[in-house]
Amino acid sequence: MKDLLNRFKSLKLVRIMGFNRVVLIGVIIVLCLIFQVLSAVLNHGNVFLTYARFTSAMNYGYFIGFLALGVTFVIATGGIDFSVGPVMFCAALISGYCFNNYGFPMWVSLIMCPLIGMVFGTVGGFFVSYLHLPSFITSLALMQIAKGVGSIFTKTQNVSWPGSSDPGGWYRSLSNLDITVGGQRVNIPTGLIILIVVAILCSIVLNKTKAGRYMICLGANREAVRLSGVDTRRWEMLAYVICGTLAGFAAIFYVGCYTTVQPVKGDTFNNEAIAACVMGGTSMAGGLASILGTVIGSFIIAIMQEGILSMGFNIAFQYSLTALILLGAVIADVMSRRRRN
Amino acid sequence: MGEVILTMKGIDKSFPGVHALDHVDFEVRSGEVHALMGENGAGKSTLMKVLTGIYTKDAGTITFEGKEVEFHNPREAQQAGIVIVHQELNMMGHLTVAQNIFIGREPRRGLFINDSAMNDEAKKLFAQLGIEINPKETMSSLTVAKQQMCEIAKAISHDAKVIIFDEPTAALTDAEIDQLFVIIRDLRAKGYGIVYISHRMDEIKKITDRVSVMRDGQYIGTLVTEECTKEEIIDMMVGRVIYEEPKTESHCPPDAPVVLKVEHLNAGRMVQDVSFELHRGEILGFAGLVGAGRTETARALFGADPKQSGDIWINGKKVSINSPKDAVEAGISYLSEDRKRFGIVLKKSITENSTLATLKNFTRGMFINKPKEAEVTQKYVDALKTKTPGIDQLVMNLSGGNQQKVVIAKWLVNDSQIMIFDEPTRGIDVGAKQEIYELMTRLAASGKAIIMISSELAEILRMSDRIIVMCEGRKTGEFDIAEATQEKIMSAATRDIDMQNRKPVQEGEAS
Amino acid sequence: MHMEKSTDLRKQARSAFIRSSAFQRLILIAVLVLLYGFFYLASPSFRKYTTLVQICSNMYYTLLMAIGVTFPLITGGNDLSMGTGLICYSLIGSYLMRIYGWPLWAAILITIGMGVAMGAVNGFGVAKLDIPPFIMTLASMMFCRGMGSILTGGFSGTWPDGAEPGAEFRNVFRLIVKTDTGRMPVPLGMIWMILLVIIMSLVLNKTRVGRYTIAIGSNKEALKLSGVNVLKWHIFAYMICGLFTGFAAVTYAATFSNITPGQGAGFELNAIGAAIIGGTAMTGGSGSVFGTFLGVLLISLLQVGLPFIGLNADWQLLITGGILLGAVTIDKMRNGK
Repeated sequence: MKDLLNRFKSLKLVRIMGFNRVVLIGVIIVLCLIFQVLSAVLNHGNVFLTYARFTSAMNYGYFIGFLALGVTFVIATGGIDFSVGPVMFCAALISGYCFNNYGFPMWVSLIMCPLIGMVFGTVGGFFVSYLHLPSFITSLALMQIAKGVGSIFTKTQNVSWPGSSDPGGWYRSLSNLDITVGGQRVNIPTGLIILIVVAILCSIVLNKTKAGRYMICLGANREAVRLSGVDTRRWEMLAYVICGTLAGFAAIFYVGCYTTVQPVKGDTFNNEAIAACVMGGTSMAGGLASILGTVIGSFIIAIMQEGILSMGFNIAFQYSLTALILLGAVIADVMSRRRRN
Repeated sequence: MGEVILTMKGIDKSFPGVHALDHVDFEVRSGEVHALMGENGAGKSTLMKVLTGIYTKDAGTITFEGKEVEFHNPREAQQAGIVIVHQELNMMGHLTVAQNIFIGREPRRGLFINDSAMNDEAKKLFAQLGIEINPKETMSSLTVAKQQMCEIAKAISHDAKVIIFDEPTAALTDAEIDQLFVIIRDLRAKGYGIVYISHRMDEIKKITDRVSVMRDGQYIGTLVTEECTKEEIIDMMVGRVIYEEPKTESHCPPDAPVVLKVEHLNAGRMVQDVSFELHRGEILGFAGLVGAGRTETARALFGADPKQSGDIWINGKKVSINSPKDAVEAGISYLSEDRKRFGIVLKKSITENSTLATLKNFTRGMFINKPKEAEVTQKYVDALKTKTPGIDQLVMNLSGGNQQKVVIAKWLVNDSQIMIFDEPTRGIDVGAKQEIYELMTRLAASGKAIIMISSELAEILRMSDRIIVMCEGRKTGEFDIAEATQEKIMSAATRDIDMQNRKPVQEGEAS
Repeated sequence: MHMEKSTDLRKQARSAFIRSSAFQRLILIAVLVLLYGFFYLASPSFRKYTTLVQICSNMYYTLLMAIGVTFPLITGGNDLSMGTGLICYSLIGSYLMRIYGWPLWAAILITIGMGVAMGAVNGFGVAKLDIPPFIMTLASMMFCRGMGSILTGGFSGTWPDGAEPGAEFRNVFRLIVKTDTGRMPVPLGMIWMILLVIIMSLVLNKTRVGRYTIAIGSNKEALKLSGVNVLKWHIFAYMICGLFTGFAAVTYAATFSNITPGQGAGFELNAIGAAIIGGTAMTGGSGSVFGTFLGVLLISLLQVGLPFIGLNADWQLLITGGILLGAVTIDKMRNGK
C-alpha cells in the first residue's frame, strides 16, 4: 500500500502540482460523481452534470475564489482575516448605492470596489503589523465595522446592481457573457477567465517577486527575517492590503451573478474562503501557501454548494457542511503541524 | 557546620552527544554555605536539575538525611525538603506575595480560600527571616531583591532542609546583597544546608564555607573558603589542557584602521556603558560567562533590541542604527546565537535562506532573478562545502553544521565588512568546527572585521587577535592575544564589579 | 535623601495604581456616567424608565457570555465558539422539546450540559494538545455551527412561549407587575445577573478555580513547578466559559421567540470586547468580573442609547467594532508583549 502511494507520488504530474492538489482534484471528481448519482436518484431527471449547473456553480466560485486568493496572502504571513466577506459586501453596497443614487458611471463604481477593500485592508494591516495586535481579533473587529459602514451608507437598505439589460449592466459580462452562436445562446464563463488570470498574477507575486518571498518567509519565521535586515512590518501589511483589495474586487463578481446585496451579511463567506485556502494546502501556521490549491479549494466549495442546492436541501445545510469542512481542514492542518514538530 | 545532610555520589548524566555529568560527587552539610562554581557548560545547573528531579540521572546515588532518594519531579524534591531558588524567579507576578508562597496548598474555609490566614502565616515567615514585606502586595510590584526574599520565605515554609541559590545576586544592589547575606547567615545558623551557585569570586569569599568546583562535567575538588585563594579556585575552574594551539600573536596588522567604534552603549541591565573598537582584518573575541551581556551588546549594536544610548561610528562616520535593516545597510552582519529560532527559516530552501538579507540585489524590478539566485547560492555551497543534495533542499533537513554554513552564506552574500558571530560553533561537530575556524581566519585575512562571541575559552584563545571580557553587562577586561591566558580571562569574567570602582582589568594588574 | 526616597515610592505607587485595572474600572464608571448623562440630555424620550429596563434586558445573554469568557481570557486564551455555541445548544434543546417531547427542565439541563461539554473539549485542546486557543475555538465554532443545523434539519427552533406549558420559564427574566399606572415591567433578570456577578467575582478571587486561573495566565510554568495540576484547572477555566455559554443559550431562548440556525457568529465579540474594556488583559493574569459587568453595561448602554440620538442599529455595529479594536489596542499598549 505504501509502495503504491510512493509510486503515485513520484509521477511527474503529481510532483509538479503537489500531492495535495492532485488529491483535491480527485475530490472534485468524486464529488461530481456523487452528486450526479444522488441527483439522478432524488431529483428524477434533473441531473447534476450539465453545463447550466457548471456555470451556476462557477457563479458561486468566482467571488469565493477572489476572497480565498486574498486570504491566502494573509494566512501565508501567519495571520488570518475574518473580515473578507463583509468587506466585499461593504464595497458592493457603497459602490452600488453610488451608482443607483448618485449617478456614478459604472466604471467608477467598478473601480471603487477594490479601492474600498484596499482601505479596509490597509487599516487592518496597520493594526496587525505596526501595532502588533492579534490578527484574529483585529479582523473580527473590522468585520463588525465593515458591516456597520456598509449598512449606514445605504441606510440599511438592500442595494441592487443593474440587470444585464439595464444601463450600466455591461459589468455583468465580466462574470458571464451570453452570446448567440448559430442560433443557440451560449454562456461563456468570463468570470472564470478573469479568476484564472488573477490567480496566475497572485501566484507570480507570491512565488516570483521579492514581496512574495518576504511574505512567505516572515510567515514561517518572522524574527529570523527581521534579523536578516528586512522591514517585516511593511511586507506583512502588504499582505493585508492585497487581501482587502481582492475582497473588494470580489464584489464585482458577486453582484455580477447575484445582483442584490444585503447589508450586515456576508460572514458565511469568510468560512468558505478560509476553508478553500486551508484545504488547498495553505498552512495556518504561516510560511506555506498554494494559489493553485486555493483555486481548486474554491471550486470544491462552489461545487458542493451547487450540489446541495441541486438536491433541494436547506441552505443552512450548506453552511453547516462548510463549517464541518473547515473543521476538518483545521484539524488536518494542526495534526500535520504536530507531526512536523 | 553540622552533619552531612545530602550526598551525591558518582552522578552521571548524558544527553545525545554530550556527557553532561561525569561521575560527579557533591555533598552538603547542615549549617553550611557550600559554593558550587564552574564556567559555562561545567555542569552546575545540570547537577542541580538532577538533584531537584527535573532530570533523571543515568547513574550514581543521592542520599538525603541518611536515606537513598530519587526525585521524579521538583514537587517531590520540595516535599522532601530540597528547594531551589532559581535565577529566573518562579512566581506569578499577578498574585500577591502570600498567594505565591502558599500556591497549591491554600488554607481553606469550606469552598473559599482563607486569604487572611495566609497573610498571617506569611507575616510569621517574614518575621522568622527578619525582613519586612507586606504579604498583601502584588508580587510584580516588588523589587527583584524582595521577590527573592519571598522565594526564600516560600522555601522555608516548605520545611526545607537544603536551599539552593542559583546566581542569587545578579540583579541586586550592594545594599540588597548585604541584606541577603544577613538572611543566609541566619539560615546557616539555624542549621539549613545552603548551596550557593555563583561566579562572583568576592561573594564566594564573603559568605561561603566551602567551594566545590566543576569543569567540563567533572567534579574537580572542594576547598575550604577561608584557606584558599581566588587564584586556586580559578585554576581549578580552567585548569584544563588545551589540545589546540592558542594563537600566540595577533594576525591583525598593527596599522589596520578602525572600522567600528562603539561608545557608551547602554541597553538595560545587560549592556552598561560598553565601549570598544574593532579593526579591519581583526578577530575580536568576546569572552565571558552566560548572562554577561555579550549577546545583548551585539543585538543592541545590530539594532535588534532598543537601546537607551550609544554612539556608533563606522569607518569614521557616525551612523544611526535603530533596526536590523539600518545595521545591514551600514554593513554589519549578525549571526544569532540561536540559529534555529533567529538565524534561518527552517521550512525554506537553502536558496531562499541564502538570499534573505540581500534579496534586492537579486531582483529585476519586482521579480526575483532565480537563475542568478541559484548561481550565487551554489557558489557559496561549494565554497563553504555545505553538504547537501541540492540547493533546493529545505534547511531543516541539514545537520547543525551545514545549517550554520547556510547562515554564514547569507551574510557572505551581503559582503558586509563587519561580521558578528555569536557562538558560531555551538552544537556543531568537530569537523565542521574546523571548517568554520578556517573560514573565519580567511575572512579576516581578506579584510573583514570580525567579532566572535564565545563561551568556550579554548575557542576564544585559538581564534582571537584581541579579547574583550564582559561580566554582568560591563566590560571588565581587554587583552591582546599575546598576553591572554585562561586565568586572566576567567578572572575578569568572574570579577565582582564594585559599584564605586568600575575600572576594568588591564594587563599586569593584580586581582 | 530620605525625603526623596519616600516621594519616589509614592510616585511609584501612584503610577502602579494608574496602570492597575482598578483604575481602569474607575475610568469606566466615569465614562458610563458621562455617557448616560449625554444620552439623557440629548434625548427626552431616553429618560423613561422603560429605557433602563431595555438596557437591562439587552444585556442578559451578552453578560453571561462575557462573565464566562473572562476566565479563558485571564488564562491568556479566548473562546470564539460561544456565539455559534449558544445557538446550537438552544436549537438542540428546542428540538428535544418539540420533536421528542422532552420536558422543559430536561431540555434546560441538556442545553447547559452541552455548553459544559464543549468547554471541556476546548479546554482539553488548549491545555493538553497545546492547540492555540483561537484555532481550537474556531474549530468548535465550526462544529457548533455545523452540528446545530444538521441535527435539527436546518429549521429554526422555538422554546415554549405564550400559553404553552413551560413558558413560565421566560418569567425568570421578565416580570410584569401591575401597578396603578398600568403595567410596569420589572427587569427581574438583573437580580439574577447581579447575583451571578457577585458569585463569580467570589469564585475568581476566593476559590482555587479562580486563583489557579489567574496563576495560569500569570506564569503557567511556575504554577506547574509548584506541583499544582495545571491541566485540570486550565480545562476548568474553559468549562466555566462553556457553562455560561449554556446559561446564555437558555437566556437567549427565553428572550427571543425564534432561534435561527446559522446565526451566532459575532455574538461573542461584544462579550470579549466587554471583558477587555473591563480590564481583563488579553495577555492574561489579570481580570475582574465586576469590570466585565461594567463593560457589558457600557456596550448595552450604547446599543440602546444610540437609536435615541438617531443612530440606528448599524451604527451599533460600527461603534462596537470600533470599541473592540480600541479596547484591544489600549490593552496592547498597557500590557505589552
